[in-house]
Amino acid sequence: MKRQTIDQAIRESVAEALPGLGDPDFDARLTSDLGLDSVQVMNMIMEIEDRLDISIPVNVLAEVHTLGQLGDQLEALKGGPS
Amino acid sequence: MSLFDKFSDLAAARKSLGDGPVPPVATPMDAISSATEATIGGQPVILAGTNNYLGLTFHPDCIEQARQALTRHGTGTTGSRMANGTYREHQALEAELGAAFGWPAAMVFSTGYQANLGVLSTLAGPDDFLLVDADSHASIFDGARLGSAQVIRFRHNDPENLERRLARLGENASRALVVVEGLYSMLGDQPPLAAFVEVVKKHGAWLLLDEAHSFGVFGERGLGLAEQESLLDEVDFIVGTFSKSLAGIGGFCVSPHPELEMLRYASRPYIFTASPSPAVIASTRTALDLSLKGQELRQQLWRNINRLYGYLTKLGYEMGSTTPGPVAAVILPDRKTALAHWQGLLDAGIYANLMIPPATPQGMNLLRISLSAAHTDAQMDRILGAFDGLGSGQ
Repeated sequence: MKRQTIDQAIRESVAEALPGLGDPDFDARLTSDLGLDSVQVMNMIMEIEDRLDISIPVNVLAEVHTLGQLGDQLEALKGGPS
Repeated sequence: MSLFDKFSDLAAARKSLGDGPVPPVATPMDAISSATEATIGGQPVILAGTNNYLGLTFHPDCIEQARQALTRHGTGTTGSRMANGTYREHQALEAELGAAFGWPAAMVFSTGYQANLGVLSTLAGPDDFLLVDADSHASIFDGARLGSAQVIRFRHNDPENLERRLARLGENASRALVVVEGLYSMLGDQPPLAAFVEVVKKHGAWLLLDEAHSFGVFGERGLGLAEQESLLDEVDFIVGTFSKSLAGIGGFCVSPHPELEMLRYASRPYIFTASPSPAVIASTRTALDLSLKGQELRQQLWRNINRLYGYLTKLGYEMGSTTPGPVAAVILPDRKTALAHWQGLLDAGIYANLMIPPATPQGMNLLRISLSAAHTDAQMDRILGAFDGLGSGQ
């Protein structure tokens, strides 16, 4: 899966969680910068799972603090850059 | 910088609840006089925010058996089940739980929380998968975190969403344990159990049902949602608690798989804690017997449930579940309104639960009423009447 596809799914899911935010900063922290609470983060991630048809183990998310890091993990789960 | 900096958000949330004479969270009870009555802030109240579904906390038989056990066996076991903490009575309770379900394996844990910790962290190992409902109780998420399995969430009460995740696992689905609850305690809603069973079987996975809030409430013998829906033969593990319908404290896991017994040698939350005290085991055994024979208690409980759901719906409240159950969650638009409702009920002599984020799903602000078979018709009149003066909050 191309990184572009992953980032697009992230953008669409963020737009759904935070309507009106515009193009999100991939270095922004999910909670302190984007203002998402833990429930919103988990719901957004389930949305991304459905868009990309991938399951993201909860354990992996402990290392994820930014959208960019989320993209990295998704890329790794899908077998690396292509 | 301080170790306590991380609690600043919690401190702000606590402050937003005000500093009235009676705090809406961790509300101190001055005295408890029956299964449904207490004194709070110097005022007598009807308890409508406990998990005392069958109202057995003051049952004379439970108290007498606990009293006798206290006298005969002392106040505590002082040790683990795997050392000096296994008394004949612990084994008797396990045998009685197994017999109730007609299954060969039953384990008793020191709390319901530890039952989920002990079972989930041990059953699913590093090569296995735990698929848990997104709105699961904290004990399920904590049990998953304590173990080493890959943990995957699926959308709340959505068998189709679970199926997509099981399908992605392919052959590995045979090493997946799916976890759902018989009744979700925040919104009071129930799972589509038959549909979950169908998906789990189709993919050769395993099913664990947490009946913490549904044991004693559903089914002819009160065994829970699986009994009510005639699905006991389709479930691999049932976890439950003694601290709700059985009016004590402790937890259990029962299974048709005799291999569950091996968890005794591997489950850290089972091994590395003291076993339940003799008095608790004695009252629980009596309460279990009363629950299994408790058709009249359940009739009264369901009469109360249907009255409350009918009345609140008539008043125009949005409920957390359209299917009535022992937990009635009233969804309110914001924290201020929820707090005002909670205080209004307390002023009218009714204790309920205020539930706010982050404890609630989707950031909801809830007023939660929990009913009991011990609520009399007159007490139910008082509970319903207290809502008349509050406005619908819509």
